[in-house]
Amino acid sequence: MEYLATVTILIAIYVILAASYNLVIGYGGLATVAHPIFFAIGAYVTGLLAIHAGLPPIVCVALGAVAAMVASVLLAASSLRVSGDYLLIASLGFQLGLLQLIRNLEITGGPGGLSNIPSTIVGAARTPTFLAITIGLAVVSVLGIRAIVRGPYGRAITAMRDEELAFTALGRNAMSMKIVIFAVGCGVAGMAGGVYAFYFQYVSPEQFEVLQSAQILTMVVLGGMATAYGPVVGAVLLLAIPQAITFLDLPQNVMAPLQGIIFTVLVLLFLFLRPTGIMGDSDNKPRARASEAA
Amino acid sequence: MYEPVILAQIFWTGVATSAPHVLMTLGFALTLKVTGLWNFAQAGFMAIAFYTMFFALNGLDLPIFVAVLLAIGTTIAASLATEVYGLQVLRERQSGNLMFFIFTLILSQFIMYVITLIFGTEPQTLFKSILSPVQIVGGVAVSDWDLLGVGLMIGGMAALWLFMAFTKEGQFLTAVSDNAKLAELYGISARRSYRVTAVIASLFIVASMYLVGSHGGVVPNSPLELILGAVLGTLLGGIGRVFAAAAASIFLALIQSFSILVLASRWQNLLLYGFLFIAIVVFPRGVRLPKFRFALAGR
Repeated sequence: MEYLATVTILIAIYVILAASYNLVIGYGGLATVAHPIFFAIGAYVTGLLAIHAGLPPIVCVALGAVAAMVASVLLAASSLRVSGDYLLIASLGFQLGLLQLIRNLEITGGPGGLSNIPSTIVGAARTPTFLAITIGLAVVSVLGIRAIVRGPYGRAITAMRDEELAFTALGRNAMSMKIVIFAVGCGVAGMAGGVYAFYFQYVSPEQFEVLQSAQILTMVVLGGMATAYGPVVGAVLLLAIPQAITFLDLPQNVMAPLQGIIFTVLVLLFLFLRPTGIMGDSDNKPRARASEAA
Repeated sequence: MYEPVILAQIFWTGVATSAPHVLMTLGFALTLKVTGLWNFAQAGFMAIAFYTMFFALNGLDLPIFVAVLLAIGTTIAASLATEVYGLQVLRERQSGNLMFFIFTLILSQFIMYVITLIFGTEPQTLFKSILSPVQIVGGVAVSDWDLLGVGLMIGGMAALWLFMAFTKEGQFLTAVSDNAKLAELYGISARRSYRVTAVIASLFIVASMYLVGSHGGVVPNSPLELILGAVLGTLLGGIGRVFAAAAASIFLALIQSFSILVLASRWQNLLLYGFLFIAIVVFPRGVRLPKFRFALAGR
């Protein structure tokens, strides 16, 4: 039961991550691979504050999210000045560079990771409480992002993504909108990182490698880019399938790459056979076109 | 510490260690110039090239030239298959840059997972020993590996320059990179040019991975980090300027080499990322040296 609850908590955290990544890459059309590093910033800042400052958990998680948001603004503001493609390259460098920094700093625990993050809730109530918190945050994140993209600001985001030139010609500032979308998406990822740190009480650089991007990207593409519930379907499916493989009792050195192969094959199949994803409507011509143009 | 012979040694080591990076940058930058793609699938092809050689040498006990030929064959096959069944399909669908990016990155990761499943995550080298015979030239230690690296680097650059400047196929690549649609109006097949580019890039990849694998350990994830050097060289050199990208790679290797005078070794890798940001923020279109023009006397 404890195992199932932990898997569900992990799925809820990944739903938050995938939904926030979908806002950035699917709705905003901003090509980035650095989402795991904002998750990491949230986790590390939250963990460090909890260990050294002794602040209340909610404050730690909020500050973790703010730190991720600030870092994302710095990254986007510098790289989006030139062209969208540079965000991709800059995000790759940012991800790898910051991980290298985390590995080398003593305060972050170096390659060994950050342990001894205090347990905020103890006893039998711990897992059910975290279950409720993570599921609640996942629901709020998905519905919040859905509300943003369905409102007037969301229509502006779609217009900016599909026809940036026309959007700018109307007097709207595409650059600031991109930065806002990026910051919100990365801030939500930072919040997910904070919750992750409190639940698992241990974070290490390996958990945030660039290969994690493939995992989150898979969830978004498989579920359906630029769809409200696509990332939910993607995250549930892609975390549930490896759990099924877990019961095959394969050794870890086979299990990990096998899970990776499943992820990547699914993305490749969906990219070519159904670019709109499971939740994407291939008959909905404008959305299908937007997904293709992405 | 700052004696001339030490500085000369650091300089030579920097130039020699830049060789594999220069070769992979040539392939990466040429692909970007002709196809307009940041082709991260090349990281996967690098893994294919290395592990083919590794398996041929250590699993099948084949001679080195057969191992290299096999690696060339598998890398070209993988590269062409990706071009024909992947990139071409996305081009026909008029997919955006994001789709190309996702495809090349995920393909690269797929290849790495498959290789991890087969070969594990232990660092592997092509040969049992990575020690190379050394001779002292003017107080500077020069290994056989250094000479091979520098030879391949200079040979590769010269061969590419001759190919681009003096062959029809090379000129077609330049035409397609300038304007693919216009080139097609003149009867040049863009598809053929993309495939020729894939083959040339594969040759550079194999040469590069031979040098990397005969000098140190390689794990399945290594190529993804190695390709960042190629990205950085391409950015610093300026998109579309293949030889400037190669020169930038040498410059970066020299910076990393000389940094041992002031930085602890654990921080040296971070330099690369620092330069990446400087390149993006300050030199987004590459570093362009001023052109010196000499006024003609008596004109």
